[in-house]
Amino acid sequence: MGEFLLQTSWCLPIYGLVGAVLTLPWSIGYVRRTGPRPAAYFNILMTLVAMLHGAIAFQTSLYVDPQPILLHWFHAADLDLSFAIDISSVSLGATELITALSFLAQIFSLGYMEKDWAIARFFALMGFFEAAMTGLALSDSLFLTYALLEALTLSTYLLVGFWYAQPLVVTAARDAFLTKRVGDVLLLMGVVALSTFAGSLNFSDLYEWSETALLSPTVATLLGLALIAGPTGKCAQFPLHVWLDEAMEGPNPASILRNSVVVSCGAYVLIKLQPILILSPVSSITLVVLGTMTAIGASLVAIAQIDIKRALAHSTSAYLGLVFIAIGMQWTDVALLILFTHAIAKALMFMSVGSIITTTSTQDVTEMGGLWSRMPATTTAFLVGSAGLVGLLPLGGFWALREGMNAFWYDNPWLVIVLLIVNALTAFNLTRVFRLVFLGEPQIKTRRAPEVPWTMAVPMVSLTIMTLLVPAMLQRLSLVPDWAYLNHSAVLLLMLSGLGGLLAGCFVPFTRVWSRPVQMPFKLIQDMLAYDFYVDQLYRVTVVGFVAMVSRFSAWFDRAVVDGLVNFIGIASLFSGESLKYSASGQSQFYLFTILTGVSVLGVLLTYRLW
Amino acid sequence: MLSALVWIPVLGVILIGLLPPPDEAAIARFVKRSLGESLPPDPARLIALITTAITFGLSVVLALQFDSTSLQSQFQESVPWLEPLGLNYQLGLDGLSLPLVILNGLLTWIAIYSTEKSIQRPRLYYILVLLLNTGGAGAFLSGNLLLFFLFYELELIPLYFLIAIWGGDRRGYAATKFLIYTAVSGILILAAFLGIVWLSQSPTFDYAEIHTESLPLITQIILLGLLLVGFGIKIPLFPFHTWLPDAHVEASTPISVLLAGVLLKLGTYGLLRFGLGLLPEAWSALSPWLATWAVVSVLYGAFTAIAQTDMKKMVAYSSLAHMGYVLLAGAAATPLSILGTVFQMVSHGLISAMLFLLVGVVYKKTGTRDITVLRGLLNPERGMPIIGSLMVIGVMASAGIPGMMGFISEFLIFRGSFPVFPVQTLISMIGTGLTAVYFLLLVNRTFFGRLPEQFANLPRVYWSERLPAFALALLIVALGLQPNWLVYWSETTTAQLTPAIALSVEKIALRIEADPKPLKNAAVFLPSISPTANTPKATAYIHPSASSNP
Repeated sequence: MGEFLLQTSWCLPIYGLVGAVLTLPWSIGYVRRTGPRPAAYFNILMTLVAMLHGAIAFQTSLYVDPQPILLHWFHAADLDLSFAIDISSVSLGATELITALSFLAQIFSLGYMEKDWAIARFFALMGFFEAAMTGLALSDSLFLTYALLEALTLSTYLLVGFWYAQPLVVTAARDAFLTKRVGDVLLLMGVVALSTFAGSLNFSDLYEWSETALLSPTVATLLGLALIAGPTGKCAQFPLHVWLDEAMEGPNPASILRNSVVVSCGAYVLIKLQPILILSPVSSITLVVLGTMTAIGASLVAIAQIDIKRALAHSTSAYLGLVFIAIGMQWTDVALLILFTHAIAKALMFMSVGSIITTTSTQDVTEMGGLWSRMPATTTAFLVGSAGLVGLLPLGGFWALREGMNAFWYDNPWLVIVLLIVNALTAFNLTRVFRLVFLGEPQIKTRRAPEVPWTMAVPMVSLTIMTLLVPAMLQRLSLVPDWAYLNHSAVLLLMLSGLGGLLAGCFVPFTRVWSRPVQMPFKLIQDMLAYDFYVDQLYRVTVVGFVAMVSRFSAWFDRAVVDGLVNFIGIASLFSGESLKYSASGQSQFYLFTILTGVSVLGVLLTYRLW
Repeated sequence: MLSALVWIPVLGVILIGLLPPPDEAAIARFVKRSLGESLPPDPARLIALITTAITFGLSVVLALQFDSTSLQSQFQESVPWLEPLGLNYQLGLDGLSLPLVILNGLLTWIAIYSTEKSIQRPRLYYILVLLLNTGGAGAFLSGNLLLFFLFYELELIPLYFLIAIWGGDRRGYAATKFLIYTAVSGILILAAFLGIVWLSQSPTFDYAEIHTESLPLITQIILLGLLLVGFGIKIPLFPFHTWLPDAHVEASTPISVLLAGVLLKLGTYGLLRFGLGLLPEAWSALSPWLATWAVVSVLYGAFTAIAQTDMKKMVAYSSLAHMGYVLLAGAAATPLSILGTVFQMVSHGLISAMLFLLVGVVYKKTGTRDITVLRGLLNPERGMPIIGSLMVIGVMASAGIPGMMGFISEFLIFRGSFPVFPVQTLISMIGTGLTAVYFLLLVNRTFFGRLPEQFANLPRVYWSERLPAFALALLIVALGLQPNWLVYWSETTTAQLTPAIALSVEKIALRIEADPKPLKNAAVFLPSISPTANTPKATAYIHPSASSNP
């Protein structure tokens, strides 16, 4: 049984896809009029099946060697595109995480999307989303990975643009697609180049090739930069980070997945690419630099947000920045650990936020307060999620960050400082949000705030328990070191930074009016952070402005110069024809005169020399 | 068998010509009341549908009988015609023309199907469309240069009338512009053909009997230049493209479908068949310039498309950009890239046909194609959600999202061209990013957002209007997921198109040893490729030393 399910675990992505495809009838005609609920249940069922299948396969895979599967897809001339699929405990663990979170998020959305008329479309998109992610986890071929990354880009576009009638959603969907697309096109350049150089796009062949590859430094650098561009966009890292906070305009259940597993998919690809990136030291350095910039920048920006979802989305960018640093420094296990713990904790926090938004119908933290006694489960979820994220209490985030500190402790102390800063700022930010949302006096929108219905509460509470159990899971996977081996000063520093952030968040005075924590004297800084260092505006002026200008110019050039020239020739010939027609007046005197003039001019010209 | 493809539509033309004039009164009543399905069936339309269905079916049968391993052109038919002139009625089918012939049949059928039933002067209209089908099929099938030219010119006349009679407000201008441009292109092509045959002293104009190796390179380059401009007008390539947006904007929807789907392919087909096929030496001498030209065309088309506000113009300029890829791949002329051109021709034919169909529906229902006016058409109750969803699919296919045909064809082109022209390939890849920009603009503006009052009472969209786009979408996805079907037919032929050039590259490489300038781009990457490339073909092709003497 287990063996069979392990062998067939390549079909895990197909479950989600089948769910998505079979939802299509609910978009037309009579089936649509029967109501979308059955489609939603069907999708949930498919995800459940995928989850159970994956769980058994994962259990089996722990005792079996990794099994590569090769599917031949396309063969032409010197190009052989086969899909290698990697069935190992790591990839199956990743699919398990994805399907489990997707399952919880889908049940959650039964409640969250209850009043939406397009719930069938939403579930179909979630199924597609899940299929792309599980495929990405299993894929062992760069070509397949690229294709699935694009599929993720597409489904992000459609999910963010789910409520397409709202103007902000339209721009958010557009920005999400285009920003990721920039990364994807660069990645495609890398894929094409790599395919030419290495002859195959399966990771195992690529690793083999990279050991003996002889590339000139320039080519290697360009290749490395192109390859990291895709994940940079996917993980919302500077300079391609602008889409993630805008994407918060989309439905919340999709945000649960996006902030936890989707961004992780980008990092997962990067981890897969890492042996190739070693060819170019510049790209590793770039990873670290980008990661550091994003980690600190996004942590700062998060503090100044008053939209509860955006405050958390920026912190996602920050954590993924830490992952980038870890990958750049070749500490893959640190990266995976941060990804894992962050995914679970962040998913929980977004569920809690989703409950808050459902109940209060607002995302603005300045309009909230006093929810703790009204929504106990949500409050617990938020608290546990924060604790699981920040390195203070011995939950997931703590162990992951400790692992990072351990890794950097001796060789790169400045990265330890980055880590501590991010930890402190995150603690500060979460405390701030907690104070604003759950403590204080209730406001108009939070006065009548009942706890959410069971469809939302059950997944939230389950995930709360899961988050609390993360240390136990780590223990079982022997990722938690013995007390004796702990680097006590590192642990102490980590806890101190978390505590510092927490205390600062508790005691920074902010009144309701100025609920953004940075106060009046620093208005400038406050606005700069709130507007994400004005990166949006900068892009609008530079990149977007440039493209718009070039396109306007070329359109003008096309109309005025290229077409103008053509039309000018046309008009000129018409005009000369029109004007010459007056020479045919029908009077013989005029013709005679013309002939005589012509002949005499000719005669003069011919005899010119003789005179 | 092949003659049937060419002459069955002509049979249809004769049959339609024999029909009595239609009942104008009934049509007038229909237009007045707008009663969807109650119009009496139009016999002309029926005949047109049946004949094109037969030719399409026939082409599919041919595809099934096609021997994919054969190097020769198949199902050959040869009838001496004007022998002193060297003009023979010579038809043949190979892997380059087969997909295009099938595309021609399919899109003509779809074009006829999606024609409005209440069209004015239906008999003339369907006759012209059928003649267009004949012209296309004949051009793709002919194995004689003069015969190709005849069909090439034949296709121009019906299209002129189709634009000039059933077009939009500025149809006269657009049709005349199209006529002049295409006539010039025809003259240039004829001149090149005559030059090729007479200078190489071939006995006939039969494609198989022409050998240009004896011609001096400079003569070849001049002849190729004529062909390039001639077919460059048809493809179209910058700066010979301005007839295209005008023609598309003024033509009715079915004619736009045919124009983009089939007729533009005549240009790329001709360029590959005659430019690359007959003058390989000149082709490889010019190829760096061709690749650069392709890049200019791609970027120019893409940037210009961004600034358009008319949906049809936007799609037309995207054609300019996407057909530029074909030139890029043709210039590289590796087995893979030539295969990529076939893919790109088919995928562009399907995708742009689909986009034009959808734009046509939007225009028919709302009365405008202006993306600054349209908004919120995805509205589930009062808008056109299914057309909108199909539009998203079409747009994503065009932008090269994997799983659809646009992606694999672009990937083949990039991957095939990269070893030869790395820089040009990388730059033209920016074009795929820009495709996303302008098509996203289109979808975001017209389909997203809130439906304004003025479009609150749109007419119903019938299933007959959705079905053609549905069928195309299915094909696009099917071929995107299973591109091997197309490879199966085309690979042998496209591979055969390249050895000619590989040999001549050797010659050029010998020439370059004295002057290593023209292939500098490739040379940069060569050292890095050669030790690891597991592809003997490619290395043989690149290395002058691997000499298999002709």
